[in-house]
Amino acid sequence: MKSRPLNILLADDDKDDRFFFKMALDALSTPTQLETVADGEKLMDFLVGNAHQLPDVLFLDLNMPRKNGFECLSEIKRSKILQQLPVIIFSTSFEQEVVNLLYVNGAQYFMRKPAEFSQLKKIIQQTVELFSSNHISMPIVSPTREEFVLIVQNSLTD
Amino acid sequence: MSTLESPVPHDLAQACVELAVEKEKNDKLVKALHIANKEIAFQIEEKGKRAEELSIANKELAFQKEEKGKRAEELSIANKELVFQDEEKGKRAEELSIANKELVFQDAEKGKRAEELLIANKELVFQDKEKGKRAEELIIANEELVFQDEEKLKRAEELIIANKELVFQNEEKEKRAAELSLANIELLSQNEEKEKRAEELVIANKELVFQDEEKEKRAAELIIANKELVFQNEEKEKRAAELGIANKELAFQNEEKEKRAAELGIANKELAFQNEEKEKRAAELGIANKELAFQNEEKEKRAAELGIANKELAFQNKEKEKRAAELGIANKELAFQNEEKEKRAAELISANKELLAFTYISSHDLQEPLRKIQTFVTIILENEMENLSENGKHNFQRMQLAAGRMQQLIDDLLAFSRISTTELKFETTELQIIIEEVKTELRDTILEKQANINATDLCPVNIIAFQFRQLMYNLISNALKFSNPGIPSQIIIESRIDKGSQFNNANLSPEKNYCHIMVNDNGIGFEPHFNERIFEVFQKLHGKEVYAGTGIGLAIVKKIVENHNGSITATSELNKGAQFNIYIPA
Repeated sequence: MKSRPLNILLADDDKDDRFFFKMALDALSTPTQLETVADGEKLMDFLVGNAHQLPDVLFLDLNMPRKNGFECLSEIKRSKILQQLPVIIFSTSFEQEVVNLLYVNGAQYFMRKPAEFSQLKKIIQQTVELFSSNHISMPIVSPTREEFVLIVQNSLTD
Repeated sequence: MSTLESPVPHDLAQACVELAVEKEKNDKLVKALHIANKEIAFQIEEKGKRAEELSIANKELAFQKEEKGKRAEELSIANKELVFQDEEKGKRAEELSIANKELVFQDAEKGKRAEELLIANKELVFQDKEKGKRAEELIIANEELVFQDEEKLKRAEELIIANKELVFQNEEKEKRAAELSLANIELLSQNEEKEKRAEELVIANKELVFQDEEKEKRAAELIIANKELVFQNEEKEKRAAELGIANKELAFQNEEKEKRAAELGIANKELAFQNEEKEKRAAELGIANKELAFQNEEKEKRAAELGIANKELAFQNKEKEKRAAELGIANKELAFQNEEKEKRAAELISANKELLAFTYISSHDLQEPLRKIQTFVTIILENEMENLSENGKHNFQRMQLAAGRMQQLIDDLLAFSRISTTELKFETTELQIIIEEVKTELRDTILEKQANINATDLCPVNIIAFQFRQLMYNLISNALKFSNPGIPSQIIIESRIDKGSQFNNANLSPEKNYCHIMVNDNGIGFEPHFNERIFEVFQKLHGKEVYAGTGIGLAIVKKIVENHNGSITATSELNKGAQFNIYIPA
């Protein structure tokens, strides 16, 4: 089972961001399997269609057409089938109140999309490692409010 | 008759003899009848005499009966008079006790009235003080004073009348006492009269006893009359015994009356003493009345003064009313102007909000393309390094710097607009804690600049904590950034609470309390005429090559101070450090 790659689902309407995410994942040594969806509606369709085999973790953008990240998070956390799915919010902006609301609504982590590609790789690596060591022994532990915002741990590299 | 017998001569002699015999018999009978007639006549005479004596005796008895009846009536009348006199004495004694109680009650009433006068005097003093206080309500107070003066005059008149009544009552009491002593004398004389009458009754009794003896003699002849007399005597003896008892009772009553006369004498002395006391009290009341009269005069004087003061006040009131009318018009104009200003302020506020919302949305949306540019630049610099010329590498690095600067601008703009759009939650906070947090955050810079931040004795303030943290961060980081090269940075933060009037700042309400927070540094400072401009958005005094920055930091500081309904000023001279003064309501 340890050899099974981590199944990651990314919901982001921005093509460039999906490109950066895939590029960063490919640079990692950890084996991963990435699925991407381009808006909230497609995300929910995908999750309902794969309810028997959910991904290990969902990276969720907030600002998406048709159904935004907030709505998706609420639907996931209300659904008995989907509520165990770990959701990591992946957003450009960082608003304290928005972050508080996401924490209350049951998101697992929040991370801000970094501007530098090297930082992006690092933060994705940290997260993947977190779930690789965790996904065998489900359910995952909910982080505290202090741990909720993921930041790049510069000391981990170099 | 012989002629009738004559035909028979033989028989005549016999008849004559018989006639002689019969004649003798008749003579004897006549003689006997004569004697009997004489006896009868004597008896008739005797009977007539006895009848006359009986009728005389009967008349005497009847007379005696009448006399006894009259005397019995007189005795019963005398007894009734005695009983009536006793009742009268009892009534008079009751009246005397009631009169005494009335005197006691009147004394108590006079005592109460004297106390009421004292209280009334105290009340008058208190009212005078109250009138001093009521100078503002002079019109009403004056009317009340006039009314009170009238009342006092009435009371003084009432007191005079009361005094007269007291004098009259004293006189009445003296008269009654005199009457009582007269009554006592009368009672004594009546007692004497009764004793005389009792003696007369004893003599009368003795006469009755004598008459009884006379009647006993006569009773031998008149058994029936005697028995009646005996019965009458027994009755009279009983009555005499009763009269004896009545006499003893009268003697006892006389003793009682003497005692009562003695008591009345004592009561009279007491009355005389009370009269003296009342005269003294009347004299005191007279003095009190004079004092009241004097006070009334004083009050009239004061009332006259108050009347003058009232006229002045009335004049002043008219002046004030005129001024009030003028002020009313001025107020209406001001109100109109205020409404206009409020409308304009509301328009400005909404325009400002729209502007801030626009700033926020545009800045927010600018982040994403900028971030992507930065990411692509870093990907190229990371992956295509060897394919770039030195010039290309340099240009890419400059592009990266420009993008970084743009990111900083966007972040600052977002922070600036967020200050006005987020909810304001005030809480009492220790500035010391906030400054310690900021110092921790700026630890590297502080070490680099060899800075010393001195913040002690700071008062707790009611603030939006996270905004004030940003304010202190911006001010301290500013002070560090603009420190004098070569001189260790010295930052002093102080605070004190005082009234707005104590600070040289026109934006403060003079009567409100403010917390004045001073942030001093020994940095490069600025020219004094920039002291307003430095708080405007995007205003910088130095090129970004010398001092990096977006020119938003102090604009954020000012915005935060305004969010706290406060005021901020800056004073400085070039190369002489800068002082920032923050005033927020305490």
